[in-house]
Amino acid sequence: MAQNPKPRSIIESLGEEIVRIITPVSICMFLVVILVSILNNSESSSASFTSIATIAYTEDSSDSFWDKFEGALLNSLVFVAVVTVVTFVLVLLFYLRCTSFLKYYMGFSAFLVLGLMGGEIALFLNQYFRIPVDCFTFLLVLFNFTVVGVLAVFMSKMAIFVTQGYLVVIGMLVAYWFTLLPEWTTWMLLVAMSLYDLAAVLLPGGPLRLLVELAMARDEDIPALVYEARPVLANDLSPRENVIPRRLWREPRNVDSGINENLNSGSSVNPSGTAVSRLESNQNESRIVNAVSGQGSRGISELTAPLIEHRINVQMHLAQQAVETENLVLEGIGLGSSGAIKLGLGDFIFYSVLVGRAAMYDFMTVYACYLAIIAGLGITLVLLAFYQKALPALPVSVLLGVLFYLLTRLLLEAFVVQCSVNLIMF
Amino acid sequence: MERAAELENNNNNENSSTSSSSSLIGGSVRQEWPTIDGPLGLSENDSVWYARYFFIFGFLMLPLLWAVNCYLFWPVLIHSRSFPLLRPYIVRSAIAFAVFSAILGSWAVTFVVGGERLFGHTWDELVMYNVADKYGLTGWI
Repeated sequence: MAQNPKPRSIIESLGEEIVRIITPVSICMFLVVILVSILNNSESSSASFTSIATIAYTEDSSDSFWDKFEGALLNSLVFVAVVTVVTFVLVLLFYLRCTSFLKYYMGFSAFLVLGLMGGEIALFLNQYFRIPVDCFTFLLVLFNFTVVGVLAVFMSKMAIFVTQGYLVVIGMLVAYWFTLLPEWTTWMLLVAMSLYDLAAVLLPGGPLRLLVELAMARDEDIPALVYEARPVLANDLSPRENVIPRRLWREPRNVDSGINENLNSGSSVNPSGTAVSRLESNQNESRIVNAVSGQGSRGISELTAPLIEHRINVQMHLAQQAVETENLVLEGIGLGSSGAIKLGLGDFIFYSVLVGRAAMYDFMTVYACYLAIIAGLGITLVLLAFYQKALPALPVSVLLGVLFYLLTRLLLEAFVVQCSVNLIMF
Repeated sequence: MERAAELENNNNNENSSTSSSSSLIGGSVRQEWPTIDGPLGLSENDSVWYARYFFIFGFLMLPLLWAVNCYLFWPVLIHSRSFPLLRPYIVRSAIAFAVFSAILGSWAVTFVVGGERLFGHTWDELVMYNVADKYGLTGWI
């Protein structure tokens, strides 16, 4: 071009960055809502669904209000306790420089999620829509999908779009799994996890804060599944500055990229996170409990084809829960090494769980919760720009979302339904 | 994706006009980026390894890897006569992916359209939802 293009204003690049993080969150939520509305129509027996989140109390729809409340509270406390232990183990491993172990574990977790969870949901969809695909094609496509997904998660230099797409898919699959938990347990779990996130990131002894400080001190990236938005490059970025500066919180950037000036001046920080997803641990446990039927689960446990290695490994798997997939997803929001906004996959998951649970009631709650979550995310981004350190992305959004869900279900629904029925509006 | 391509074009254009002042860390003057991410992706020397191994591992029944290879190095496919080190791998990946997907697609379409008329009772044995029911594959959750 002969002349330089008009320099982008701060508003444009700031808006672009925000859009680039809100779009995948919205896509993930949208996909979970679609999955939930297609697959959870039967509202089948959740009594047989045992996992670490229902280890203390299995919900029954005939229990009284207080029974359900206490049971859900107990479940979520157990869950948060397990997550705390797992996160501390993660911090310990990171401290002992076992990063390659963590990376391999991350790849393995991604393989399990994409292969088993993704395969299972694909099978559900197959059965629901009666898609006449033969088993060879299906298995081949699933195999391809899984292997390329593991590579996308593993390799840092894959196409950005492919990596982002796979992270969104992984978030969607784990979030769908969480929506299978009983209702009260899910809501209590969301609240408990957001409070835990708040404590773990902001308190001086919190595991996530330790993790972030370790990563900063060593100038390393935490090996975890974190969604990094594509950084906005200013149009007038001259070619010699094509190499994206690696660490922005060491020296102030001298590149005139609007968002970077806004968010990075000085000490922006790598992502924080709660190690959250315990998908395989739960999945393994549920498979194990199903295979060894009747072990501590109320209701009818479904009989699956017992896999011998799972039965043998019962004790080992249950003991391994603490180690499994602690680093699969992190929560928390921060800034990546290239100045782009990073959002932990745990945030994707819990936002989608909230919206998915709302979808199991009605779409009205979906809209309300979606708006609440996006508003919360916007507030968190503003706080991120303001405080310039790693922040928990769960509390504001999830608490707002739960509040809006309750208000919609208790107050708004009656109003809207009466208006619609009487043809006043909508 | 368009933005990255647009940036790459901008970079290329600016490169031609400011070639005297532009220099990469390694001292090379070529500024074109072989990956679709443009300046965010790999340089040409780094990407030879990726192109080669994506092509080789695609032969392990992983045609999606060929497709990802073509997507990742899309500028290499578009601009013929550029990146002489990479182009053979990418072109071969594209051809291999096209051949494989033609074969798989024709098999899948035959399966769907032929149905029971063509396969007889084995159609029921091969179709995925029956296989899933038979082996109880959806009973985990």
